[in-house]
Amino acid sequence: MATDLLVVEDLKMYFHTRDGVVKAVDGVSYTLNKGETIGVVGESGSGKSVTAMTMMRLIPMPPGKVEGGDVRFNGESLLTLPEDKMRAIRGNRIAMIFQDPMTSLNPVYRVGHQLAEPLMLHKNLSKAEAWKRATELLEMVGIPHPESRVKDYPHQFSGGMRQRVMIAMALACDPDILIADEPTTALDVTIQAQILELMQELQQRTGSAIIMITHDLGVVADMADRILVMYAGKAVEYGTVDEVFYSPSHPYTWGLIDSLPRHDMTEKGELCPIKGQPPSLIQVPSGCSFHPRCPYAKDRCRTEIPASRTIDGSHVAACHFAGDPGFTRTEMACAGVNVG
Amino acid sequence: MKKDSPQMQQEQDRKTAEATAAADTAYDALSASPSRTLLGDAWHRLRKNRLAIVAIIWIIVMVIAAVTADLWVPQRFGDPITINTQTLTADRLLPPQLAHPFGTDDLGRDVFARVVYGARFSLAVGLIATAISIVIGLVLGALGGYYGGFTDTLIMRTADVFFAFPYTLFAIALVAVLGPGFINVFIAIGVLGWPSIARVFRSSIFSVKSQDYVQAARALGASDIRIMSRHIMPNSVAPIIVYGTMSIGGAILTEAALSFLGMGIQPPTPSWGYMINASTKFMTTAPWLMLWPGFAILTTVLSFVLLGDGLRDALDVKMKD
Repeated sequence: MATDLLVVEDLKMYFHTRDGVVKAVDGVSYTLNKGETIGVVGESGSGKSVTAMTMMRLIPMPPGKVEGGDVRFNGESLLTLPEDKMRAIRGNRIAMIFQDPMTSLNPVYRVGHQLAEPLMLHKNLSKAEAWKRATELLEMVGIPHPESRVKDYPHQFSGGMRQRVMIAMALACDPDILIADEPTTALDVTIQAQILELMQELQQRTGSAIIMITHDLGVVADMADRILVMYAGKAVEYGTVDEVFYSPSHPYTWGLIDSLPRHDMTEKGELCPIKGQPPSLIQVPSGCSFHPRCPYAKDRCRTEIPASRTIDGSHVAACHFAGDPGFTRTEMACAGVNVG
Repeated sequence: MKKDSPQMQQEQDRKTAEATAAADTAYDALSASPSRTLLGDAWHRLRKNRLAIVAIIWIIVMVIAAVTADLWVPQRFGDPITINTQTLTADRLLPPQLAHPFGTDDLGRDVFARVVYGARFSLAVGLIATAISIVIGLVLGALGGYYGGFTDTLIMRTADVFFAFPYTLFAIALVAVLGPGFINVFIAIGVLGWPSIARVFRSSIFSVKSQDYVQAARALGASDIRIMSRHIMPNSVAPIIVYGTMSIGGAILTEAALSFLGMGIQPPTPSWGYMINASTKFMTTAPWLMLWPGFAILTTVLSFVLLGDGLRDALDVKMKD
């Protein structure tokens, strides 16, 4: 299809370590259309970032190894592309925003220099042109006095401002896809909202597609068109925002939603966390990898790996019982998990 | 009510203007400290370190004296090399006096002139030998640190072999093989110095390599060489500047030791190490003979070490004032 900008197909990225094989990404598929936003959510270590890094080919290999699947960008497989062609895509067609703005800017260069770098690398701009564009970019991301700030060093910026600079850097070459790897995790709540708003605004202006990686459902609820929920390297639920939020079908997604504070909660009402820890990716539990933490687990879950079941349309969930009429989230699930 | 609307508009405008002005003031207050460069910052911190400043001044004085020696030393104090046979007996082993501030040696030559000329060789050895070490050390350390794996193992085990030999003995052995002389001393000291530099640089690269901004540069599509030279190098070079400055002192010391043992520059060319060696015979009768070159070695080496120490503090980005 012409509209499919990025197709991730059954991607598997394993790390071969001394302790064993870490199945960081184990069969993840999704498609991203032009100008669309997809939210990738899941706990720490569920393989969200590794999925993105794999498509950017930023994973050191070894120890990493792509064990299967494909990533196609405009129909071209990124995984087999020669390194120089891949370099022309990185930062140019697909750009990335990192989690921690405090450490993602090089402390020895002026901000303008760092903004100018992708422009000089990909657009063959002269130094003067690139710096001029850098000033415009700073203005675009809402930094006051861009003409003088462009000559400042990163340590003269606050965290929120630095994240704005990172966004400006990523958008410098008008990329088709912007990968935002937990862009607001290191920022405080008010700045988070500003940054998200800025990203939405710029997306409308530039038409970039966004892959938003986060562990915060609240972040993607607002921005994303579709949501991919990951657990232990696998996609457990995939669908539009409305499908995932209003008719979640996987017990893990239920758990994630239940662990969010809600408006209608009483003051003393307890949050309902998901019991236990994410599993080690070296020894993934047999059957459904979520079964040790799943309050609905049955014998079948312990032995049989669930296949993706279509709920309706594009909405799929990897649970044996997803979509079964009798299999619904009980209001008591929270209390049941919490007791003890 | 018609009147209200423009008034309200004005009120709104005024408020906006006030808010903007307030933001501007806040911004100006924040950026009150002028935007300095990193090196400017370092110099600012270094200037506060008195010892380092004294060391810099002393090094500058030595360098100027050594470079301009031909212009004033022979005219004022006599030739540091040739022996004047006519005045030899009269000028032998004179104690310090106005005409000869450091006295004269057993061959009637002015000790001050010889110390100044000796500085030429000592400083040259210090700078050139260290430069050789740094070039070899940076390249090998960078290769090992950036690529890791087998390359790294090979380079670091080779460095370990170098470390396994006693430094001075190794230097003597190298000079013995190459033959004593100006160039060979440079080579011997320079070649022996690289393992420490490579090791320091490698570990510094290892820590910088895993920084987010290196990953970010890669995500922007920068090539290996660009990442290495533009992003990793500038962030890991500070320890090398410090270590390099200190090893200039070390190289001078090694050269003095080699010359003392007769393996360095050959007489009659003046060299601090050899001057001390020659003066041991007159230790009791003319102690100043060994005192002056010893003093020269001490102060020069100390200056480089103190300067290195000062640079370590000055280049530390975490020390914000």
